Amino acid sequence: MHATDNLTSTPTLMHNPAASPAPVLSLNNVEVIYDHVSLAIKGVSIDVPQGGMVALLGANGAGKSTTLKSISGLLRPERGLVTRGEVRFMGHNIDALAPQERVKLGIVHVLEGRRVFEHMTPDENLIAASAVRGSRQDMLRNKDMVYTYFPRLHQRRTAQSGYLSGGEQQMLAIGRALMTQPKLLMLDEPSLGLAPFLVAEIFDIVRRINKEEGLSVLLVEQNAIAALDVVSHGYLIENGRVVMHDNAEAMKKNPDIQEFYLGGAEGHNFHDIKHYRRRKRWLT
Amino acid sequence: MDFSLFAELAINGALSGLMYSLVALGIVLIYKSSSVPNLAQGAMTMLGAYVVLAIANGIGLPMWTAIPLAMGTMFFVGMGIERVALRRLAGRPIIMILMMTLGLDIFIRATTMAIWGGSSRPMSIGISDEPLFLGPLLLNRSYVVGAVVAAALFAIFFFFFRTRRGIVLRAISDDYIASWSIGISVERGVAFSWAMSSVLATTAGVLWGSVQGVNQGLALLLLKGLTVAVLGGLDSIGGAILAGLLLGLLEGVASGYLDPLVGGGSRDLVVAATLILTILIRPHGLFGRHDIERI
Amino acid sequence: MLFRQSGIFHTSYADARALFPLPADRWMIGLLLAFAITAPLTMSSLVLSTHLLPWLVWTAAVLGLNLILGWAGQFHFGYAAIMGIGAYTAVHGARNGIPWEIAVVLGGVMAAVIGIVFAFAALRVKGLYLALSTLALQFVMDWVISHVPAISGGSQATLQAPAMRLLGQAVTSETGLYYVALGWCLLVTVFMLNLRRSALGRALVAVREKDFAAAVIGVHSLYYKLVAFATSSFIGGVSGAILIFTFYRAATPEQFAVNVSIELLAMVIVGGLGSIIGSYFGAAFILLMPGLMNSLIGWLAQLAGASLGVETLAHIPHAVYGALIIVFLLVEPMGLGKMYTNLRNYLLVWPFGYARK
Repeated sequence: MHATDNLTSTPTLMHNPAASPAPVLSLNNVEVIYDHVSLAIKGVSIDVPQGGMVALLGANGAGKSTTLKSISGLLRPERGLVTRGEVRFMGHNIDALAPQERVKLGIVHVLEGRRVFEHMTPDENLIAASAVRGSRQDMLRNKDMVYTYFPRLHQRRTAQSGYLSGGEQQMLAIGRALMTQPKLLMLDEPSLGLAPFLVAEIFDIVRRINKEEGLSVLLVEQNAIAALDVVSHGYLIENGRVVMHDNAEAMKKNPDIQEFYLGGAEGHNFHDIKHYRRRKRWLT
Repeated sequence: MDFSLFAELAINGALSGLMYSLVALGIVLIYKSSSVPNLAQGAMTMLGAYVVLAIANGIGLPMWTAIPLAMGTMFFVGMGIERVALRRLAGRPIIMILMMTLGLDIFIRATTMAIWGGSSRPMSIGISDEPLFLGPLLLNRSYVVGAVVAAALFAIFFFFFRTRRGIVLRAISDDYIASWSIGISVERGVAFSWAMSSVLATTAGVLWGSVQGVNQGLALLLLKGLTVAVLGGLDSIGGAILAGLLLGLLEGVASGYLDPLVGGGSRDLVVAATLILTILIRPHGLFGRHDIERI
Repeated sequence: MLFRQSGIFHTSYADARALFPLPADRWMIGLLLAFAITAPLTMSSLVLSTHLLPWLVWTAAVLGLNLILGWAGQFHFGYAAIMGIGAYTAVHGARNGIPWEIAVVLGGVMAAVIGIVFAFAALRVKGLYLALSTLALQFVMDWVISHVPAISGGSQATLQAPAMRLLGQAVTSETGLYYVALGWCLLVTVFMLNLRRSALGRALVAVREKDFAAAVIGVHSLYYKLVAFATSSFIGGVSGAILIFTFYRAATPEQFAVNVSIELLAMVIVGGLGSIIGSYFGAAFILLMPGLMNSLIGWLAQLAGASLGVETLAHIPHAVYGALIIVFLLVEPMGLGKMYTNLRNYLLVWPFGYARK
């Protein structure tokens, strides 16, 4: 959906021509309803280009996780349904596929809050994820790859995963996802609860993986600053609708984004903060 | 205090306790995958034994063919039950699933008895009735065989859970949604657990059937199996075997001394009391995870 | 159209909190009450004493179980034991000369006291562990009742219940017994209906949903769990006593064994957890179904020319219970009460059903 009129920046095209050939992931006008009554997202259209890194930004409860779940197929445990629109992966409509089949195709979703298998070791966590990809050789090779990207994980590979620190668990969750040899890696709020230097480290590793393995990444984040530093372009979701789509630089400079999500432009008068009232919203 | 009597009660008790562990193992397997204790495990045990008899006597096959065939049948029965009755209730409050297993227990017991009921039937699997002598102590040969089979099965499962397949099952028992997100077919894993549980139940049914005959009483193994499972920790396989030994010991020795005092029937009382005490004192059992009782 | 909601304006808080604000509801209740009270005149004595009477008493028991299971959310797999305690206490009391009413109340109090013992298990554990421990306690109770001759008169013995004397009058006629059962059932129903709008009811729901959160806002979850168990056990105990005096006339250990607990649970599930009208439906369903199925299967077997052994027939009622539980949990987990509510919701806006989106 297009940005509404009261945006100060010039509207940009929804589909960046530089992103062709066909995007690896394409959501067209997706609408999701929970429990047959709660509308979570409406008219959401998102493209992730081949090998690209895209951010999905927004505040709490905007619908970012729902969007990811509609792609990975994890809506059903939460009684959610895609009621309109379609999700296309590599050009094929995947709406009818079960979550495990989507993983086989190459989509993997790193869940919000990590959700590692707490009672197993990191090594076993990685092995569990290899089940979808055949042979033992593949598994060993992938494990090596993961440990190369996350050396800290290798050090802690025999500990019980529930006792790992937040950062290590996040690394484990990402590494576990990598074991499925995905073509699209979806990260749901990886920075949640992590110290800033860890966030930087993890984002750095993800960027490396994106460049070295050619893995497309869809990054959902509340931490807009950190996210916009690593992605090429981003979408902004508010109240279940996409209200903005632009490349990362433009978004960072956008005064509305700065006011709503980046803590305001430079030179803040603290006296004003006390009397701050949100002057406008995109969607009322 | 007659030491040899005590030792005899203790050893026979421990051996029969290992056989209880078989029933408990089935319950633990299902708990690990479906997060519910299967109250129909006793009924499955009984059904398994009757199926063996039906194949052996009805079709006229020898025992060593009938038993694997029955296990195969029960494998699919277990899968079928999961598919039809349990899958719909995934995600519902635990009381509903618990009631469902209870309903299954009642239904399976009644139907089995309605079809094959009547007096107790013998199940002979080639174990002679001669008691074994360990020094001055008299051991029940069937118990010894049963205990060996149970221990072997436990060892198999212990190693199984270290393989890739087994790790996948452990992942499923840890977190369904995380499992789905990395491509694990939770449905297949759960179905497999139920199927394996049924096979284990059949084994227990055969072993216990050879000891006490195949009749309604086999279904009452549920209470013993459940107590062992809870005592060991509902999601701990190692716990089930140790708790089985412990409960068997306790039941054998206590009832040996209590029965003359109260005029019989104290075995069940001891088991029920153990269950209550375990739940009150240490609900997650000896080796269960602490978060089991979490809010 | 039938349940006209328009034109109903409340001018006082009491009106707004009324249990049945719709005139249609009030008419229905009125008709049902009239039918219930005149039943001895209209129904045959057989139907009265073998169908209506046990149905009413069991409904009261199911309502009590619903209090603990549906409202307080605490599992109780040993309710039959509670009923048994009430029954035996009352019978012993009456045999020893205590006036009947007092004996029954005493039965209820005794049941409540033992019920609180169950409650202490509930304070320690939740969910399925509570279910298991109440199940185990039921087994223990079974054993105690049948092995302690002082209570049961021996494991095979039957304890004869003396004739009822209500307020000095001997009550022996079918009609009299029926009215006693009806009175008790109505009392319990009114209590349960009012629970919804009372502080106790709200506290129980709070404890059921998240007891630690309830504690944070000042609802003493320990206290309310105990209250829930005590009240529910009292109801169960009195129901058990009335059951013995009006229906069975004699107490045996089998009447309150594990399978009865399971039967009660089936009634709750089939009727619908926490549903008051569901309790009525559930009790009726479970009481009637096995008999009907037996007749049906017997008739079918006759048609097919096959003969069913005694063994087979004996097990059919249980098979039916099990099947009922399974089918209801799969098809309508909220039970008959929910089906009724669905129907009522449909009729509330009929014929404008399309407007309810």
